[in-house]
Amino acid sequence: MPTTDYSALVSRRSPTTVAAAGWLVPGAGYLLLGDRARGLTVGITVVVLFVGGLLIGGVRVLEVPGYGPHGRPLETVVVRDRQSGLREDVVEETSDENQRDLGWVMRVHPIDEIRNKPWSIAQVMAGPLAVAAGAGAVMASERDVATGLPVGARSHARVNEIGVLYTAIAGMLNLLAIIDASHRAAQGSPQGAAQ
Amino acid sequence: MIAAGVCVNFFMPHLASLVTGVLAWTPFLQPMPGGWRDSVWPWFMLPLCLAVSVVYKSIKCESMRHVPRQAVEITVWIILGMGGAAALLAILVRSVEYFHG
Repeated sequence: MPTTDYSALVSRRSPTTVAAAGWLVPGAGYLLLGDRARGLTVGITVVVLFVGGLLIGGVRVLEVPGYGPHGRPLETVVVRDRQSGLREDVVEETSDENQRDLGWVMRVHPIDEIRNKPWSIAQVMAGPLAVAAGAGAVMASERDVATGLPVGARSHARVNEIGVLYTAIAGMLNLLAIIDASHRAAQGSPQGAAQ
Repeated sequence: MIAAGVCVNFFMPHLASLVTGVLAWTPFLQPMPGGWRDSVWPWFMLPLCLAVSVVYKSIKCESMRHVPRQAVEITVWIILGMGGAAALLAILVRSVEYFHG
């Protein structure tokens, strides 16, 4: 009786390729290894969870590092203060004459900015879907010309918490799947990690 | 008749507000409507537990045939665990309130 030679199948896929595929499309790492059922199960679950989080809390549950609540780039500025002298601040609009612009916050203090929005690290693990949704969140934060209010409403309290939780856990589960799939690729067997 | 009366007086106002909320809702741009009283949000933990269980068991199980049963099993255990933790915390809070309140 012929048996499937998994080692020959997976030896063509490097763990890096499998990990990259798993990030680009959730579950695709397993699909590359020929494990279709596992890939589809993990992929569909991660995508449904992520989209579910966006439906519950709205797209603005995603806080994109480098962008403010009105969808504009955050700038690091030096403010001249009468009481404390010079101090650094992060603002969305630099209109004040007492401010000197140091540049985009992601260029000046990227670690501090990401630390201020820690959930974004987990959320971006869901792949390009999260990146596209982040772009949508920035666009939804921009003010509508007619009303002067943001296009998308920001959720609060439990609704926001659950939306953030869903999207962040979707990203973390995808990271888990990426690690497992690339480990299986390294082991040379689709069941490598489980063993 | 009683059932119709209960339906009109109790459920209809809630149903009407829910339908109005859903019709006015723009998915993704606005948060989900539905009142969001304290009795509602814990139910959203169930799909989350199920998703975590499905992915976890998909990674752990050698054969995907075992995943559905084992995922449901572990979902029940997670819910029971969270319920137990909630009960213990409630007892702890009540005890602190009783002795120090």
